[in-house]
Amino acid sequence: MDKFKNYCVELLNISKSFGGTRALKKVTLKVKSEEIHALVGENGAGKSTLMKILSGAHQKDSGRILLHGREVSIKNPHQSKALGIGIIYQEFSLVPALSVAENIYLHDLGRESGYIQWRELRMKSKALIQKIGFDINPGEKIHRLSIAEQQIVEIAKALCQPLKVLILDEPSAVLGPKETEKLFQILRELKKEGLAIIYISHHLDEVLRLSDNITVLKDGLSSEALPSGKTNKDDIIQRMLGRSMKQMYPQRTPKIGREVLKVKELSSKNRVHKVSFSVKSGEIVGLSGLVGSGRTETLRAIFGADKKSSGHVFLQDKKISFSSLRKAVKSGLGLVPEDRKQQGVLLNLSIKNNISLTSLDELSHRSGFIKAAEEKENTKALIQKLSIKTKHENLKVEALSGGNQQKVALAKWLTPHVKVLLIDEPTRGVDIGAKTEIYQLLNEMAQTGVALLIVSSEIAELMEICDRILVMYEGKIQAAFEQKDFSEENLLRKAMGQ
Amino acid sequence: MKYSEHLKLMRKFLKRTTMFFIEHNTMIIFFLILIISANVSEVFFTQTNLSNLTRQVAGIGLASIGMLLVIITGGIDLSVGSIAAMAGVLCAVFSSTTPLSIVLLISVASGIAVGSFSGYLVAIHKMAPFIATLAMMTIARGLGFIFSNGAPILLADEASAFIEFGSGYWLGIAYPVWIFLVISVICALLLRHHIFGRIITAIGSNEEAVRLSGIRVGIHKLSVYAISGGLAALSGLITTFRTGVGSPIVGVGMELDAIAAVVIGGASLQGGKGTAINTLLGVLILGMIGNIMNLISIPAYPQQVIKGVIIIFAVLLQKFQSKSNHN
Repeated sequence: MDKFKNYCVELLNISKSFGGTRALKKVTLKVKSEEIHALVGENGAGKSTLMKILSGAHQKDSGRILLHGREVSIKNPHQSKALGIGIIYQEFSLVPALSVAENIYLHDLGRESGYIQWRELRMKSKALIQKIGFDINPGEKIHRLSIAEQQIVEIAKALCQPLKVLILDEPSAVLGPKETEKLFQILRELKKEGLAIIYISHHLDEVLRLSDNITVLKDGLSSEALPSGKTNKDDIIQRMLGRSMKQMYPQRTPKIGREVLKVKELSSKNRVHKVSFSVKSGEIVGLSGLVGSGRTETLRAIFGADKKSSGHVFLQDKKISFSSLRKAVKSGLGLVPEDRKQQGVLLNLSIKNNISLTSLDELSHRSGFIKAAEEKENTKALIQKLSIKTKHENLKVEALSGGNQQKVALAKWLTPHVKVLLIDEPTRGVDIGAKTEIYQLLNEMAQTGVALLIVSSEIAELMEICDRILVMYEGKIQAAFEQKDFSEENLLRKAMGQ
Repeated sequence: MKYSEHLKLMRKFLKRTTMFFIEHNTMIIFFLILIISANVSEVFFTQTNLSNLTRQVAGIGLASIGMLLVIITGGIDLSVGSIAAMAGVLCAVFSSTTPLSIVLLISVASGIAVGSFSGYLVAIHKMAPFIATLAMMTIARGLGFIFSNGAPILLADEASAFIEFGSGYWLGIAYPVWIFLVISVICALLLRHHIFGRIITAIGSNEEAVRLSGIRVGIHKLSVYAISGGLAALSGLITTFRTGVGSPIVGVGMELDAIAAVVIGGASLQGGKGTAINTLLGVLILGMIGNIMNLISIPAYPQQVIKGVIIIFAVLLQKFQSKSNHN
């Protein structure tokens, strides 16, 4: 009886279908107050659907939702909010052009008098942000904040009303290790204050460290709640995939050739400061560091997407000073950008149109007309090679899952003339199954002699697939590690500038 | 058992037909209005009326094709009406003194030049297309007034070939209509099968991703405005050939009709979506609406209201389409 009462929120036997597919099959999830409960599973396992039902964005087909033992009906996001359920989605819901304070109190700006009480608004926002241990100017516009700071605002926004349950969908996907640690601190604080926290993440290490209990979803079915102390990563992966983690990373036998890419004293106005290093053919080099350490900016400066202010880039001993990105690509560079949806893929165009984009010249007659049959064949071959899950090559990319979208973003660089591929966050927001396939693909590319330079916030990932890791700190290369010296502690320490 | 199978088939059939209607809604609106027109007025399907109708839409049609290319990249071109007027005026001004082929060249080149400048402002200086072409709209209109001293100019007698072209037929179809059709077909081919079409559509979908794929975004954006300017000039020439006058006040509001035709044709103002065939249909739909209302003598003011209502209706149908595509 007592135990039963302790549950803050209970989702019992929830089922939900979309058209013919059953997304959730009698899923049960129980979370107590003062508990951080992690929800893990592959993309498409039903995590987001379940949370959308709790937050009122979707309606359940059957099952019951209890809040402190009392059944509640949640028909829309408004009701869910009124019941004290707050959710922070994977994609931010902030208005970039408005200030921090306006965003936090967007739902009831000037509700009482019809006028906005600016001073009060700022003070309330400031207090709220300070309460979770940060100092962000409430008058600052959202688009000027770093992604980590935006995340803080997102949390403050959820906390501006009395909460019982806080749901976070992949909150750490955009954060570096340091910011993530800070987020965890906040969550532990909130937990102490009696909140029930549901935490969705792909990062199993984090999940194990942070949460009290873990529920695994696989194909719309839920596991029992596993106490974090009594399980481990391999066990969870086994439950998520039906196979073990050892098969996740490819066995690398690097075939390293001569130097292909050489960067000498490269600087840009954008956080890159006198960076020098080189990458050999067949080598996978990782670029590690905190968010804001200049990793992404280094890639962009090499590629020419950002202007460099000084320094040189050599490709196969030839000094290159690209006046255009076209020349960079023609001479064998490729970039898979960090932000897939904004920069990597064309969402409302077909898979075929996306993949062909980098090889239009090769796929067309001299008159510029595209060789339709050849293009189709090329696309189909790549879809198969990367096992992109789709019925048709003419399907729009927006219809694909994150992992498959990422494969499309990679596929367009799988052309013979790419010699150096710069990849920013190859597996962000990608489920474990697709991750494995992407690692395999990167390994295969390296085997064929492509030089790979990879930026990632996931240290474990870099340690598994890279031959060498460079650590950046404040725009400079702080340290370089050979494979035998890899350790998470070393990497992190250097990343923090020690 | 049997009954349920029937029901299933029936449902499948219904679903297919609704999907068909949703996918081809421009085509369906076109035939709907065609049928209505044929029933409301006996005159509609006569050779004279159809010939008039197609000749009327040819000019707007050319501008709409240019507009389509610009809109596909996510831009807009407000200068087409002014360019048409300016090109018509230039043609009339030079018709008395210059060989006709040079006259054509000057007129079309003037349109391309104005369009290229808009494109330059948009592509290189990242100016909002609405603003850049708004400025070029008043500039081109002003140039038209300057070249003509503010009054319509008659085509010179030496340019009788132009007048003949403007009223000539081949296979029962007026020359200007042929030009429109040929340009439409070329545009359709470019959009469907050519790198150029592929790239401008991609730019409209996600410009940054295209840039990061090593494609020259600037030159492609500039060129759609240049093409739009050139086609607008051609449209102005056709008007001048038909009326025998180069007038600085023609084409006022033409940009809005062109945008309407493109939008009725299902293109998205956000860019990345649109076909030449549907734009052609959009042009014909707009033309037919005006034509039939004239035939059954609806006064001019209500005509405008009805036209607006039909545009709203057509675009709502497309909203419905994109929603059902998502599901």
